[in-house]
Amino acid sequence: MKAHRWYTPWLLTAPALIWLAVFSLWPALNTGVLSFTNVHTLSGGQFIGVRNYVLMWQDPQLRDAILNTVIFMVVCVPLLTFLPLLLALLVQRTLPFMGFFRTVFYFPVIASAVVVALIWQWLLDDRGLVNGLGRQAGLIHHTLPFLTDRWLLLSSAIALTVWKGLGYYMVLYLSALGNVRRELHEAAAVDGAGTVRRFCSVTVPGVRGTMALVSVLIAVNAMRVFTELYVLGGRTGGVGGQDVSLVMLIQQAASGSDGRIGYASALSVLLFVLTVGPLLLLARWNRRTD
Amino acid sequence: MPRVRAGFTPAAVAAIAAITTVALSGCGVGGTSSDAAKQSVAADAPLKGTITFQTWSLKNDKFTPYFTGLVQDFETRHPGTTINWIDQPGDGYTDKVTSQVTSGSLPDVVNLPPDIAHSVAKVGGLLDLTKNVPTLAQDYVHSGVAAYGYADLGADSYGLPWYLGTDISLWNKAMLQRDGLDPAHLPKTFDDLLAQAKVMHDRSGGKDYLMSRPPGLSDIVNSGTALMTSDGKKFAFNTPGAAAMLDKYTAAYAAGYLPSDVLTSTYEGNSALFNKQEVAWTTGGGNYIQSTQQTNPSLTPLIVPSPALDTAPLYVQGVSVAAKSKNLPLALAFAEFVTDDTNQVNFVKLAPGYLPGSAASANNPAYSKSDGTAQGDASVFAYQDMQKAVNFTPPVWTDAMNTVLNQQIALAMTGKESAKQALDNAVNRADQLLDQ
Repeated sequence: MKAHRWYTPWLLTAPALIWLAVFSLWPALNTGVLSFTNVHTLSGGQFIGVRNYVLMWQDPQLRDAILNTVIFMVVCVPLLTFLPLLLALLVQRTLPFMGFFRTVFYFPVIASAVVVALIWQWLLDDRGLVNGLGRQAGLIHHTLPFLTDRWLLLSSAIALTVWKGLGYYMVLYLSALGNVRRELHEAAAVDGAGTVRRFCSVTVPGVRGTMALVSVLIAVNAMRVFTELYVLGGRTGGVGGQDVSLVMLIQQAASGSDGRIGYASALSVLLFVLTVGPLLLLARWNRRTD
Repeated sequence: MPRVRAGFTPAAVAAIAAITTVALSGCGVGGTSSDAAKQSVAADAPLKGTITFQTWSLKNDKFTPYFTGLVQDFETRHPGTTINWIDQPGDGYTDKVTSQVTSGSLPDVVNLPPDIAHSVAKVGGLLDLTKNVPTLAQDYVHSGVAAYGYADLGADSYGLPWYLGTDISLWNKAMLQRDGLDPAHLPKTFDDLLAQAKVMHDRSGGKDYLMSRPPGLSDIVNSGTALMTSDGKKFAFNTPGAAAMLDKYTAAYAAGYLPSDVLTSTYEGNSALFNKQEVAWTTGGGNYIQSTQQTNPSLTPLIVPSPALDTAPLYVQGVSVAAKSKNLPLALAFAEFVTDDTNQVNFVKLAPGYLPGSAASANNPAYSKSDGTAQGDASVFAYQDMQKAVNFTPPVWTDAMNTVLNQQIALAMTGKESAKQALDNAVNRADQLLDQ
């Protein structure tokens, strides 16, 4: 059998490496460099040292953006880690119509995020279905300001994200649950373990690897939250910009013909640092539990 | 076991330095030159070759024959020339022009409003027309020429005024009458509007609205407030007059005279609400009634036009010449041809309610005569408003500043901040953005 030449592996991986270098590594490096300049959309700009990073801390919206983004992540990670697992356990059973329910639960995943957010916008509007039904049922006497109250809007965006993500992570768990041996459940049942005990001692350890993966995916996606808040809160990020996220702040800084690309790059570096932190924590937690 | 040295090896340092250097060269950091903008174009240079002419959202059944004829006319007068006419869609024009500038593909002659022209002129992308069109001040209306002159760029001008527009007021007669308001006595000032908004709200039980937009720069200017200091270096719209105006809006919003969703993402805009007959007042261009004949014919007979409340806004469209055009003589000649008096008058005939930017025709008394229809009246009001209309938006006003102002206004209107505090915050933040 003929031996491969030394460059064969490089040749095979070259397309992926070139793609990675051009569309990931290069832009990332360039963003880091731009964060030390005052480059605008149309003008070249100059090096200004760490001025953008100093300006960041004088930006009154940054605190709100970090707080909203971190809350978004802290709430979404546990909800989207455990709820899809429970859902997967439900639809895993071989009962009539289970295929239908799996499709229904997965449906929000394939719907466009913008379309879904617009539907929620109509639902949560002052004259929307939720307020209308609430009033008719006598549950509320005043309109609930889902789209104008800071915390209600943030909660609505979280609820939307969880609802839309459930199906996707459910499918990941369904695949993982298939690998949990039935004998383990039967042995635990023989030993007298109830449903909750079997869930904690058999199911969770069996899908722990998937749980770690799901947590990481959710954390990264939550740190990049944009569409849900943008559509529900508008381009200003809710009333007074109180529901702005870090990515929205980056978008606002960089948009228009006078976009502050240097400042937006500094914000992007901050987002990167804030995203890497939780990922390292999750990786550490995963190693500990192995 | 050998110890592994902490830190970077010389090779790693060299690699990082090399990557950084390459990255720097790629990011476009460096000064820009305005030499191209300042160059003189020989007036007697022969006209030949090919150029591209870009318009903004004007390729349609109504305007395409005009532009086709315009180009043919020019090419016939100047044999050996070719004008490639391209049109960009209405949405995302700023982004399109921005990408054309950064990629060095800005068309030779380009239709730009003053704010986009300012951004392009700042980086030396447009030809100085004060120098190259000696009759600029005489041939074009003063307000139009002034819109393309920028305090931060000296005494130069970067656009030939093409067509001018303004906003007039438009009212739904049926809704006014239903709520006991007289279409013959329409509001003339913001305070009149507030008073009638209360009447409409009270008589309709809160179902009908007269007002349906949050305040903006135009309201601040109409409160008698200058947006910037006299030297144009700082914002200064946090005045008691502006705060009083904002307080009135806040009170009106709290009393339910405006739809509750004007501050949310579900707000469709006062024009959309007017078209749906949910509000009885909107502002629009002089051709608004004509356009509703195609889009909403049942509404058209109900519309009553009137002059704008307080001072009307001035909207200017102009034609600029790319400083890096490879055929500047032809580009300049064609830009002047497009905006000469004859062609401007012919163009505006297709767009009632707009006025030509050429001095010879802007004050033509023909524009002040109505044919007796509501559209005719609207055109006359637009003409009258245009005589004292003001361009409210300073060229240094950016999207980011507008976002900040809207955020602060929303905080004030929802009672989370006082009007004074909101305006102070907006001014401070706008000043910070100006310095960046």
